[in-house]
Amino acid sequence: MNIWFRQHRFALGAAFVQVRKSPGSFLFNVLVVSLALTLPFAGVTLLDNVRPMSEQLSVDPEISLFMKTDATREQAQALAPQLQRILAGSHAKISFTPREQALDNLKAKSGLADVIETLGDNPLPDSYVMKLQGFTSSADAARIDGIADQLQALPGVDSVQVDSAWVKRLAALLGVLRLVLLLLAITLGVVVIAVVFNTIRLQVLTQRDEIAVSKLLGATDNFIHRPFYYTGALLGLCAGAVALGAVALALRPLNASIAEFARLYASEFQLTPLSPLGLAGLLAISAGLGLVGAMLSVQRHLARLN
Amino acid sequence: MIEFQSVSKKYSADALALNDVSFSIGKGELVYLAGPSGAGKSTLLKMIAAVERPTSGSVVVNGQDIGKLKKAGVPFLRRNLGVIFQQQRLLNDRSILANTMLPLIVTGASTTQAEQRARAALDKVGLLDRARAMPLELSGGEQQRVAIARAIVNRPQIILADEPTANLDRAAADRVIDALRAFNAVGVTCMISTHDEQILDAAARVIRLEHGQLVGGAA
Repeated sequence: MNIWFRQHRFALGAAFVQVRKSPGSFLFNVLVVSLALTLPFAGVTLLDNVRPMSEQLSVDPEISLFMKTDATREQAQALAPQLQRILAGSHAKISFTPREQALDNLKAKSGLADVIETLGDNPLPDSYVMKLQGFTSSADAARIDGIADQLQALPGVDSVQVDSAWVKRLAALLGVLRLVLLLLAITLGVVVIAVVFNTIRLQVLTQRDEIAVSKLLGATDNFIHRPFYYTGALLGLCAGAVALGAVALALRPLNASIAEFARLYASEFQLTPLSPLGLAGLLAISAGLGLVGAMLSVQRHLARLN
Repeated sequence: MIEFQSVSKKYSADALALNDVSFSIGKGELVYLAGPSGAGKSTLLKMIAAVERPTSGSVVVNGQDIGKLKKAGVPFLRRNLGVIFQQQRLLNDRSILANTMLPLIVTGASTTQAEQRARAALDKVGLLDRARAMPLELSGGEQQRVAIARAIVNRPQIILADEPTANLDRAAADRVIDALRAFNAVGVTCMISTHDEQILDAAARVIRLEHGQLVGGAA
């Protein structure tokens, strides 16, 4: 067997021996670190669930134009050249939705097909949706309002709806949340490193005789450092697993409440745990933080012992 | 094998541990190091194990100049040395066998190979039947023999023993010295520091130190 692999196996074994010697202390440290990790892990899970929603929503200004229900198809289609003239220079994408298609879409999306069938006549009008591009400033907002007024004045138009501000607000809110989560993760990451740093410091002090003897017997620095590195990584890994477990447990009561709320909007939105890759990534980050704490502690305290 | 040339060691301006010490020890020699407490015996042994470095002069061990040896090279130098301390410095939380295996484990030897060789070393010092015992279950003399087993398990070229018979009764001290002589008889270079005049009386070569200066046994 390769010497390198054998020495790592020995170091891992030595780390487990240390854990077995003081399981209470190890568990306590795992709990402390997992408390620090739970909040950012919960935040990551929440953002991961919300991100697909926000990505599906357009943040470009969107104008919906609804024809009067008694307007004919010819009247509606005759508006197309006028719309192109009004929107010239706005890089607009114009799409026409006939009232039949609108009804089909409503049936498909709302889950209320049976109820809609009972209505008899189609209550929906023909409509246009115009997606504008390159409108970002407050001055642009005034231009959009001007365009909406011109559209409203066209013959056969019932109503015009500018629909983008709330989507922008949601995107901005998610951006702020992401930043807050990042800052929180950095702060709590430092807490994790500090806890592991102190744990390893105590272990180095407890084992200083063993370290001194091992050095005199020909142990290299790497041989002496490795068990501490493994202990730190193990501590981070276990704490990460506990934190992810806590988040998974919290999802159940949260989903019960969210389900009630979502039903009011005919939605089936549920918070789901992260993908296996996401979970593995968070566990790797936890172990990495533990490793960093252990490395800093070992470098500092073994240098003092030397 | 070991060569000191005009070696001095100062810990501070007024703490001169060794002063212009020169001697050489050939392969397979058994040399005793004598002198009162504070004469510099431990400092001298520490220099051979590269625990201390000379302030001036040169210490050459197995062809390696300790003063010029890089930090990364120190563990590999020590793997050719067997070091026995006055206080045995056994690890009390592991068995005699595990203590004896340690010098092999640090070199990356397999557990099976380390255990085989540790058992052989414990057999040589008459403690194989206590392999599973913990250090604190043994007498002082037995603990010192475990320390000898640990020192010889990696088949070193040089054994350094710092007061190995201190705190032992006559019979235990004789057993320890007999064990070291047995290893010297098969070609291992031994350097033993001691106060024990009875042991020194029977020695072929004694290097004597007083106040950090060599006063006898240079050649």
